[in-house]
Amino acid sequence: MTMDVEEVKRRAGPREFSPADDLPEEYRTAATRMLEFHANSEIMGAYLERPFIRQSPSLERKLAFSAKVQDEIGHGQLLYRAAESLGIKTREEMLSDLANGDGKFLNCFHYPMTEWEETPMIAFFVDGAAMRRQATLKQSSWEPYAHAMDKVCFEEGFHVKHGESILAELMNGSRKEQRLTQAAFEEWWPRILQFFGPTDDQSTHHDFAADVGLKTMTNDELRTAFLNSYLPKAETYGLEIPDEPRIRQNDDGTWDVVEDDLDWEEFFSIAKNEYEPGLGQINARKEAQAAVEWVREVLDDREAMAAGGHTGQAAD
Amino acid sequence: MATADGASYAGVDDLDGEEAAEAVERLLFRLADDELVVAERYTEWQVRAPTLESDISLANVAQDELGHARLWYQVLERFGHDETDLIWERDPEDFRHGTLVEQPFADGDWADAVVRGYLYDVAEDERLHALEDSTFAPIRDRVGKVLDEEAYHLEYAESWLERLAGSEDGHERLQDALDRLYPYALTLFEPGDGTTDARIVEMGVRERSLGALRESWHDRVDDYLGSLGLRVPPLEPSERADGHVSPTDLPDHVGREGDHTDHWPALFAEMTGTYEDLGRDHATRIMDDDE
Repeated sequence: MTMDVEEVKRRAGPREFSPADDLPEEYRTAATRMLEFHANSEIMGAYLERPFIRQSPSLERKLAFSAKVQDEIGHGQLLYRAAESLGIKTREEMLSDLANGDGKFLNCFHYPMTEWEETPMIAFFVDGAAMRRQATLKQSSWEPYAHAMDKVCFEEGFHVKHGESILAELMNGSRKEQRLTQAAFEEWWPRILQFFGPTDDQSTHHDFAADVGLKTMTNDELRTAFLNSYLPKAETYGLEIPDEPRIRQNDDGTWDVVEDDLDWEEFFSIAKNEYEPGLGQINARKEAQAAVEWVREVLDDREAMAAGGHTGQAAD
Repeated sequence: MATADGASYAGVDDLDGEEAAEAVERLLFRLADDELVVAERYTEWQVRAPTLESDISLANVAQDELGHARLWYQVLERFGHDETDLIWERDPEDFRHGTLVEQPFADGDWADAVVRGYLYDVAEDERLHALEDSTFAPIRDRVGKVLDEEAYHLEYAESWLERLAGSEDGHERLQDALDRLYPYALTLFEPGDGTTDARIVEMGVRERSLGALRESWHDRVDDYLGSLGLRVPPLEPSERADGHVSPTDLPDHVGREGDHTDHWPALFAEMTGTYEDLGRDHATRIMDDDE
């Protein structure tokens, strides 16, 4: 018998629910929404970083970038699987929604990234912010999600180190490198602050997700934890924090970001996949995927032929 | 691991004379440059492969090849080079890879990636096996690790060939790619000058000549692809004493003596753009050395 929402709320705790449980649709829908968003973000993050495999200025950086992009596709694969196990949407549906511009993903991955000095803004700050959030998701009530986070967080640790190493190198490089990196930081900083979304009283999905244990920390708590750790790091590397958006630390260690200093119109147009540059990235990826549609058709045909006896060979 | 006179070279200093050192260096440049450029092209498929699974697998192959390039460049460092002059500040005309590996992929042409990977992997397999008992220890010591990984690449390429060849559309695309790429694949076996390859075999650095490797390669490729119903162009037995195949079988640009297609300088400019823009003068090491 399907569990009712009240029972889910009562039982909600770390790794409490698995595909063996008959969970109500509200829970499965909310968990799917989170996982799909997370998986899409991995794919679009990889999309943004792939040009830097080629543009890496050393052989070992190139290897590290290729491995990072590969890891992110692997995380996407893992998260789509965890999402599929909720029985709401198949991976094909989620990937096709992402291609069509219906799939949602992190605000930062809607912005184009073209220069090397921008790479630590994603690979250090955004990934660092993501690490904060992902670490708390190890306590998610949906066991497959929490389990996926074990692997993701482990690998993400290397990515953040890699990003930090690029940042350190740039900020210890020539004055030109330092100047370009500071400019990239100023451009990306407001977007990074928006990573955690608007303050909690404006967030719509949080209450239910928190009540059923899918989320364990609020946006504000996560933002505070991130700032406490990354503001000092930015300063250590010689980055100057821009005067705006204004941010202020309270006596209790929490931070207030003056929300009016951030562009929420842009943020919400991004959230609807309507921001032009982001839309360009969505469509460019869609075209690349359409170009290899013929291969997927060959695989599907084989699978259809193999069906009814034995399963088709894995499509790797 | 020995020549007729039992020579064995523990390191660069043991090579007799400049000509011997130059011959080994030339062989290493071919190895390293092939691996670097083939990998560089493979990475174009990252985030663009047909499925998430194939995306991950091809990235594995690319990273293996990059790792092999790194390993062979590290051997070249023993000849007095560093990564800066081996890659980042080298004149693109000084690169010695065959032109097979520098060809761009047309959008969505997964058949090209599969056929190119296969032709390259078989060539690599032949070449590396002929180096297993090399008299030059720094090569001999590294071949085993590289061969292990190449075996997986070959298996991977074959599994894709079999899947694609089984459909009409896939078969046609494979044949197109094969017809287009076969002449380029022959560049992998083209000797550069007229004397180096003979010297390399004479010194026992590689057991077999490029011409002999080419014949084994062709027979394997012909057998296997033939079994999938694909048509492999015939290879005229090499009548020329210098080991070259007939120029009419080769593409206009071979690459081995720095004669590249226009795709190479364009690719090289993309690869070195950051290094140039930032005015870098060294390449960052972030991993431990293998040795």
